[in-house]
Amino acid sequence: MAFELEYDRSLYGVEHKAGPFPVTLDVVKSFTQGIGETNPIFIDEAAAKAAGYAGLVAPPTLCTIFVRQVKLPDVKLNFGKSGMHAGQKVQSLAPIVVGDEITASSHLKDVYAKTGRTGTMAFVVWETSFSNQNGQVVAEVQESFARRE
Amino acid sequence: MPYFEEIELGDEVGPLVIEASDDGVLEFCRVWGNDAPSRFTDAAIAEKDRFAGPIVPGIMSMALMARLFTDWAGPEALKDLDLVFRQPVPHNSPLNISATITDTRQEDGENILECDVLMTGPEGQRYVGGKALVSLPSRT
Repeated sequence: MAFELEYDRSLYGVEHKAGPFPVTLDVVKSFTQGIGETNPIFIDEAAAKAAGYAGLVAPPTLCTIFVRQVKLPDVKLNFGKSGMHAGQKVQSLAPIVVGDEITASSHLKDVYAKTGRTGTMAFVVWETSFSNQNGQVVAEVQESFARRE
Repeated sequence: MPYFEEIELGDEVGPLVIEASDDGVLEFCRVWGNDAPSRFTDAAIAEKDRFAGPIVPGIMSMALMARLFTDWAGPEALKDLDLVFRQPVPHNSPLNISATITDTRQEDGENILECDVLMTGPEGQRYVGGKALVSLPSRT
């Protein structure tokens, strides 16, 4: 029998908009310095432009930092106590370059329970679509958060 | 840059061996607006949250793992990265990131590689695992 979770199901189908988030040189530099990036396309504007890009290119998971700036409502999940970031999926659809303005649209994708050897866990999955100033979708991000019994 | 025709099932990508330094994590947290001390940057808070020390944010682990593919095949090669965070990732410790090619196919005019990707610690700890889709050019 499926585990029946108690949470706010009215959140399904509701889009939560955020942004625009400016992709500044500072944002991309901090991101690339943090991960020790060495690819010239991501750290050298002249190299990026020589390769045909409009500006310094952001690494493909940059949008994950904007996900954290989207104010998402409490799903009121009545299960467990401590939570953790369980997983993340990024689909990169187009390059993001310095000067872009990125907007986000998030919705609740799924809430489900899974039972394994260590007990039951509940997962909350949010999906966010990111678009640039031209309306082009540049990335889709899914984040899942888990709570343990 | 590798070509699609050169790839065989079971081929390995990497490893990329890297450390997430205290300064690197601080810089990364700053860019996402998480300047306040947290389990990612403060030992006392991390211990209170029952971690052995400050941990690397999941999104930073993901960015490090993406580097494996962009270093190997170029800035636009990584199409999809789907990760499960299995264990906390510590600062200042060697992180071994590698991938194995599990499928090759042509899809919507693109040459796609499917890979299992893993971040492990110096004693084989499996910190983060998942799947990646990578696009490669044809030789012709």
